[in-house]
Amino acid sequence: MTDYYAWIVFIFAIIATYIWRFAGVMISHRIEANHPAFEFFTCLAYGIIASLVARTLIIPSGLMAEVPLWQRLIPMIFAFMGFYLFGKRLLVGIIFGETAFILLLFVGEISNL
Amino acid sequence: MKGLDTNLQALLTGIRNAIGVPALLLFSAMTGFGSLAQEQGLSLYISMLSTVLIWGMPGQVVHVELYGLGAPLIAVVLGVAGANARFMPMTLSMMPVFADSPHNRKWNYLFSHFISINTWAEMLNRGHEIRADRRVPYFMGFSATCMFSGVIGVYQGYVLFESMPDIVSLCLIFLVPIYFGLIMSNTLHPPYLMAFVLGGLLGAPMYLLTPEWGLVLSGLIAGTISFLLRNVLKGFRKSREGND
Repeated sequence: MTDYYAWIVFIFAIIATYIWRFAGVMISHRIEANHPAFEFFTCLAYGIIASLVARTLIIPSGLMAEVPLWQRLIPMIFAFMGFYLFGKRLLVGIIFGETAFILLLFVGEISNL
Repeated sequence: MKGLDTNLQALLTGIRNAIGVPALLLFSAMTGFGSLAQEQGLSLYISMLSTVLIWGMPGQVVHVELYGLGAPLIAVVLGVAGANARFMPMTLSMMPVFADSPHNRKWNYLFSHFISINTWAEMLNRGHEIRADRRVPYFMGFSATCMFSGVIGVYQGYVLFESMPDIVSLCLIFLVPIYFGLIMSNTLHPPYLMAFVLGGLLGAPMYLLTPEWGLVLSGLIAGTISFLLRNVLKGFRKSREGND
């Protein structure tokens, strides 16, 4: 019985996501190719994704919530610096960010002792 | 991009370009999801299928959390819809990339299922470098590779997460905001950059205000302001660059 219910909830969750994709395709087929709506919805997408990134960084859940905020924000700044100062290479940004993150985790641990 | 003479070559190039940071990112993000699903008592089978059939991590997380809490079905539907609403603007804005492709446009309803932030950013930033008739196979190769590594990530998270050292798990989780922060900020189009900055500032406070629809709301505000100011922003950029 519980198994059965889990599948029903799951199927509704699938539909609740796909309906947005469906709407996106449908609307795109009904307007001309260089309609300003495309630019507007791209702006919306950027805004929503940025909000999502900010939320996962500032208000995380689970294990990450135990890491103090400054230990998350400072490595993020390092990641941006690594990326933009050294030729916009993704891997460089990630290495900068993760290295700062690991170092601050150790610093945080020492100051907690 | 060169060497895209056949659909197969385009598919393989898509796969090759996804192997590396994009696939690693999906893998690590989904390990986090896998461990959460295991904690909340969702079966491994549904957890892995969730990545294939929902394919949008915030909605997947909401689904698992609300299911774990035993929330009513309508709450799950609204929660997932709110968390994954970004797919509407994302799908809509990506469709012009496929506009000159020879396929029947009805297939777009299938292709849209494979869109994720990863693949969307890839197609928006680099789609124009690919021949119009090779974009679909490239996109499918890229997306399927990301999805495949995501499914492996769920499995690994579900089965192994608790035996991994905390520092490894934390680094994997931290990869997600870094990666999306960097690829999304790397746009040359001033209104998009402004939407990104505004969304980043509004995201957390709006989420505290209403957890279910906060992200959509802050995206709506950020996106609308940036869109309305687009001509001002573009003019500013031109005058700064000294063009006429």
